[in-house]
Amino acid sequence: MSVLAEIQPYVEAFKARPAAPEPTWLTHRREGAIRRFSELGWPTRKQEAWRFTDLRPLQRAPFPPVAGSVRATEADIASWRYSGAAHRIVLVDGAFAPQLSAIGELPKGAWLASMAQTLRDRPDLVEQAVRETDTIGGQPFVALNAALFADGVVLALEPGVALDGAIEIIHLDRTAERSSQLRNLILLGPNSRATLIETYAGEGAYWTNAVAVIGVGAGAVLRHVKLQDESAAAIHLGHNRVELGRDARYENFTLSLGGRLARTDIHLKFDGEGAACGLFGATLLRGEQEGTIATVVDHAAPRCTTREYFKSVAGDRAHGVFIGTIGVRPQAQKTDANQLSKNLLLSRRAAIDAKPELEILADDVKCSHGATVGDLDEAALFYLESRGIPVAEARRMLIEAFAAEVIERIEDDATMRAHLGRHVARWLAAGDGR
Amino acid sequence: MMLEVKNLHARISESREILKGVDLTVKAGEVHAIMGPNGSGKSTLAGVLSGKPGYEVTAGQVLFQGRDLLAMAADERARDGVFLAFQYPVEIPGVNNMYFLRAALNAVRKQRGESDMDAGQFLKAVRTKLKLLEIGEDLLQRGVNVGFSGGEKKRNEIFQMAMLEPKLAILDETDSGLDIDALQMVARGINALRGPERAIVMITHYQRLLNHVVPDRVHVLSGGKVVKSGGKELALELEQTGYSAYGDAA
Repeated sequence: MSVLAEIQPYVEAFKARPAAPEPTWLTHRREGAIRRFSELGWPTRKQEAWRFTDLRPLQRAPFPPVAGSVRATEADIASWRYSGAAHRIVLVDGAFAPQLSAIGELPKGAWLASMAQTLRDRPDLVEQAVRETDTIGGQPFVALNAALFADGVVLALEPGVALDGAIEIIHLDRTAERSSQLRNLILLGPNSRATLIETYAGEGAYWTNAVAVIGVGAGAVLRHVKLQDESAAAIHLGHNRVELGRDARYENFTLSLGGRLARTDIHLKFDGEGAACGLFGATLLRGEQEGTIATVVDHAAPRCTTREYFKSVAGDRAHGVFIGTIGVRPQAQKTDANQLSKNLLLSRRAAIDAKPELEILADDVKCSHGATVGDLDEAALFYLESRGIPVAEARRMLIEAFAAEVIERIEDDATMRAHLGRHVARWLAAGDGR
Repeated sequence: MMLEVKNLHARISESREILKGVDLTVKAGEVHAIMGPNGSGKSTLAGVLSGKPGYEVTAGQVLFQGRDLLAMAADERARDGVFLAFQYPVEIPGVNNMYFLRAALNAVRKQRGESDMDAGQFLKAVRTKLKLLEIGEDLLQRGVNVGFSGGEKKRNEIFQMAMLEPKLAILDETDSGLDIDALQMVARGINALRGPERAIVMITHYQRLLNHVVPDRVHVLSGGKVVKSGGKELALELEQTGYSAYGDAA
């Protein structure tokens, strides 16, 4: 398909979108965004950030936005439920599913609702989720999402509000050759605190295009976990735009297991002094899976800390990509940043590209980065086998240990670690793609 | 016959031959010591018998209870009752010791037609054997061999052997790097396992372990061959004369 033919169905879908009452500013931004998307088209491999990601599965056919969701039941989401959750929002085919959601009791000053409802009741909040940058930036999927999104999740905490139980958001998609354009907004006021786990799952060949706008205010703390467990034929693109205020803490853990093509982008900016982020994750790939983690961390303020650690495992003919940049601006003195990518190749036809990068413009900083790609440790494998453990099980144990080592970075939350560990074990039970 | 090694030739893949015709016969109930100078092929023999990758057998045969041992994969050998105590036990971060041990024990038990041990039975067995080797229970909560001292690693090997109850145990330089207390614990562990159904092959450079675990037969391996065999007195003789008579200046 030509570039025009590839993007045209989306432009058509925008024109034909159902009339929903929404603020005028939003309509204007959507119009700006679809124009921007038309100008940009799909990213190409000439663009550095997209150099390693093979987007062909997305380009083979159009995925217009899904209209009307198939009814889902409790049983459909049971495998992904998180035992530590106190609040639950479920979206089926990109639309809020009230019968499966249980928002529960919220403290005063906490807003947790679907994006559609927030648009009706608190449009003031949404204004922060769709910005001018969507209409001028260089991210075509973010622009497309701004034009087309209908639903998503909004969490907004006023200053000092702490949610003790975790919030769980489950996205279930089951309509082939359609896309869910999700816009999520997470705004933590100063000194507030929350833990959020979002899970993406489904059946069939659909496309999830999720954009999250995340603001963590001064002294606020957000733990943000993503379990990407889309169907084996699905496409998942998730873009997180994160801004941290003074002394804020943000921790992101992405466990990526599913999808034919899956990519998670995290663009994080330190806006205030003394803030810290931890970006961690594990990606397991087999078959023809294509998985990318792309991070851009912008140290725009002094005395901030970045800890970045991503691991990936690729078997069969799978392809994993880690592309990460940490930029330190001239004013960001006393930056303390490190970035590490460790990767395991399980088959000779699998491939991994790892590209860690530092751009340092300040002189008083502590920064390091590194990347490794290796095979399963043969000595460890023989040790396990020499005790009678069958080869396949020995391999599983070592891969599980490889992933567990980064899951351990989630401190003080054994429930969350166990939850992610179980999903890793479940993935491995279906074979490692040797 | 527990183990018959006949004219075994082996090399480390593509390089020169290290074993040049080893003959060895071990009956059930016996403890054999294989002694020899550095570079005589002791560790190669242990590696070949346990199925360690990287070795290539160029001639000869090994029968384990009448079966072709060399045709079996390493994990099969282990499930059938061959155990190797490593000279350098491997550290495996992230694989919990207890979990590992249970997986190994259940794999071996399955092969013997026994059911999985329940948690209670398992813990009871673990505690008894730990005591024998004076290993702290906390060590089992760590990754396999992670953060263990040299002596603890060697004791952990014997502990695993005690748990898995193999038919044929091959101990590769288990005595090296042990202080006298650890040596005695290890010896106690080995002696506790002696029995009419089991054979033990101890590979060692020194005679001192043999003061605590008295062998039935002693063999001298030199230049890739067994050059002399005898009773336990052969070990004492070697202690006096050294290996110089067998082609090693050390």
